[in-house]
Amino acid sequence: MNVSRRNFLTSGLGVLGVVLSGPQIFALAAQAASIAPRAGGKERILVVVQMGGGNDGLNTVIPCGMGAYYQARPQLAIQPEQVLPLTGQIGLHPSMSGFADLCKQGKLAVIQAVGYPNPNRSHFRSMEIWQTAQPDRIADTGWLGRYLDLADTGTAGGAEHLFPAVNAGPLLPKTLSASKVIVPSVAGVADFRFRTDPRYADDRNAQVAAFTDIYSSFDLQRPHVDLLRKVGLDAREASDFLTRSVRSYKGTVAYPGNSFGDGMKFIAQMIAGGVNSRIYSIGLDSFDTHANQSRKQGTLLKQLSDGLAAFQKDLEAHQLDRDVIVLCFSEFGRRVSENAGRGTDHGTAGPVFVLGSPVKGGVYGDHPSLTDLDAGDLKFKIDFRTVYATILDRWLGADSRQILGGNFDSLAFV
Amino acid sequence: MLTASTERNWIGHLLRRGGFGATPEEMSRYDSLGYEGALEELLNPQRVDNSQLEDFVGQQQFDFTRIEDLKRWWLYRMAFTRRPLEEKMTLFWHGHFATSFAKVREPYSLYMQNLLMRKHALGNFQELLLGISMDPAMIVWLDNQQNKKGKPNENYAREVMELFTVGIGNYTEQDVKQAARAFTGWQRTPAAFRFNRNQHDYGDKTLLGVSGDLNGDDVVRILSRQPATARHLALKLIKFFALDDPDPAFVDRAAAAYLQTGYQIKPVLKTIFTSREFMSERCYHAKVKSPAELVVGTLKTLQVTRLDGDLPTVMARMGQSLFEPPNVKGWDGGPAWISTDTMMERFNFAARITGQKFNDLEGYISPSELAAGQRLKDAGEMVDYFLSMLVEGDVPPSTRQRLTAYVSSDLAGRPLAAIPDDTTLDAKLRGLVHLIMTLPTYQLA
Repeated sequence: MNVSRRNFLTSGLGVLGVVLSGPQIFALAAQAASIAPRAGGKERILVVVQMGGGNDGLNTVIPCGMGAYYQARPQLAIQPEQVLPLTGQIGLHPSMSGFADLCKQGKLAVIQAVGYPNPNRSHFRSMEIWQTAQPDRIADTGWLGRYLDLADTGTAGGAEHLFPAVNAGPLLPKTLSASKVIVPSVAGVADFRFRTDPRYADDRNAQVAAFTDIYSSFDLQRPHVDLLRKVGLDAREASDFLTRSVRSYKGTVAYPGNSFGDGMKFIAQMIAGGVNSRIYSIGLDSFDTHANQSRKQGTLLKQLSDGLAAFQKDLEAHQLDRDVIVLCFSEFGRRVSENAGRGTDHGTAGPVFVLGSPVKGGVYGDHPSLTDLDAGDLKFKIDFRTVYATILDRWLGADSRQILGGNFDSLAFV
Repeated sequence: MLTASTERNWIGHLLRRGGFGATPEEMSRYDSLGYEGALEELLNPQRVDNSQLEDFVGQQQFDFTRIEDLKRWWLYRMAFTRRPLEEKMTLFWHGHFATSFAKVREPYSLYMQNLLMRKHALGNFQELLLGISMDPAMIVWLDNQQNKKGKPNENYAREVMELFTVGIGNYTEQDVKQAARAFTGWQRTPAAFRFNRNQHDYGDKTLLGVSGDLNGDDVVRILSRQPATARHLALKLIKFFALDDPDPAFVDRAAAAYLQTGYQIKPVLKTIFTSREFMSERCYHAKVKSPAELVVGTLKTLQVTRLDGDLPTVMARMGQSLFEPPNVKGWDGGPAWISTDTMMERFNFAARITGQKFNDLEGYISPSELAAGQRLKDAGEMVDYFLSMLVEGDVPPSTRQRLTAYVSSDLAGRPLAAIPDDTTLDAKLRGLVHLIMTLPTYQLA
């Protein structure tokens, strides 16, 4: 030791030992103690799957009854005998057997030709449009973020909802960006724990207490300090809470061994373990198939379909399947004609999937025309905000006009 | 609240933004040069002998066909370079021309691309953009290998306008199609660029009002000289180095420096670093540190010399995986670095740097050695010393009080009149540095 402890006297502790804990910490302690596995039939939960990169809708919901499809896709077209049939004219990609089974059980809604006017072919702008539901301006909040803001009764952190929503991934999508609430992003619980030096385990409580006090009273007028303070407190709270919740989950369903499967299992663990959020989100990326599309897209669609089929089975085993629906979307579909690299370039409209036991399965809307195109791209038939309005009004019991800033029809899928 | 009042504070600010922080030794040296002298040195990396770094990384015998080696190589460069702004700009360009191993799958091509970015780091943008358009890793990343006459692939053409130059809203879908034709035949061999004339479309094209038999280098010239490109780059550089929400006049000044000097980057940087805005209270401790800044800055400030091989993985878990940006737009940066998950990683990085993984190994740091010779009389002075070192003392008074109370208590949290033994002292000092590294201010550059 280079510093002599004899020179290191402490001073004035009576004055300094102020207890600074905020009330939310106590509220949390109460909440954390009351975790119990959830019983079904109490909540309406939405899981959002974002398929990033622009999924090629034409090779997902395949118009195998249309000759124009085979003309536009000499290399990439999937032959009619391989397609998993939905109706006489269309069917699913051969790797999507999980979705095909859900369809047979009436638990999968396929909504065709979903898009918006004046489509933007930039990944980032188009994804932002889907996330914010604001095609005409740059918005700060996501459509579900605004839902959470409106649903926030000021008791967040209190008894009803500790976390209004959870993003199962490292970075929050703009969909859940809100002005009043902060949605935690957690990729998994295994590493999500506030650590201290294992050699000095006795000091852990003192460190955690100091951390909590300092964060609760950290008042500094600089940009981002409020964000850092809230997220820092959330992180510490979430680590205890999620660890306990996930521990109380017991399941037997096998999920596919990839990160999307792991993520869906984590969401099931949170739902069954009593986390009590109404919205969960997860991403599956790399749909940007400009070249050598067939194998890449097949792998991703299989991950999506198998992962969600396992999730549905798991919810059914826990008798929670009547509480949950899943929405799958991508920022755009792809060009009708394939390019020279056995891939497809950025396009416009595409299919959206909604699945779960409460869903009225079937095919909604007509397949987009393959001959009446807009600069080589599909013309959309159903505005994506119609899908959102249906979920907000008919599933979440919210007022879609307030959230979407306009009147959109409902579909009948839920 | 402390204000950055001394020149030393502003030099620290410059080194956090224009570099990756500084060791105490480096800080003294830059301090002796003064702000202007330090900035001149940063802006002219070619004048600084970097052979010590090159020798050091040479001795590591990195295998550039392995992505793990490539990541470590770059982390070492960030930590030990004597040309911090050159390295910081290389990181900027990596985020700007974001190319990922996830698709390219060739570490050596990414290494070559990294050398290209470092070569032009503070140089001429048009030359860099031409190099990038011919870069084998980029050609794979944005599919230009498949961009052929009569069957264009639009991927590179779209992103070169949307993300690399003029930005969204400053081109049409027609411009994308035309630029794609101009880049047809821009292919690669396994190791180098190859212009395939058989696949190039020699027909007439019109891009942003310019017509003719345009080739890829014409596109690079047309795009580099656009005022929209100047503003796009100026805004992005200001956001990267200075402020998340700059005033338009500041952006205009930086953009003008680009256009007036024939698309040079160094004058833009000089405009930023000598601006009133950069040396203002509004800019001080006002940007969220990127994982690279946080990790490398910690190594430097605390003089950690044992760089474990998995530090790039730690950075990746905080949201910044070198050579694996999330998509072609790169990292959003700013407040987007912060989520519950990444914040927990930051806390746990602090725990790891201050703690001891195994009993038989030395820790990364020895706080008592760091405090040696400081003649610190009591817990309050100890707290002030580490607060000054790590966050320039920029915390509310309640934080200082609570840290002092923490240091002045025993392992069970009971107040102490004196630290009873060396074990308690070590535990408390490690805990103190850990707690300071978790502070909101420590996440700010």
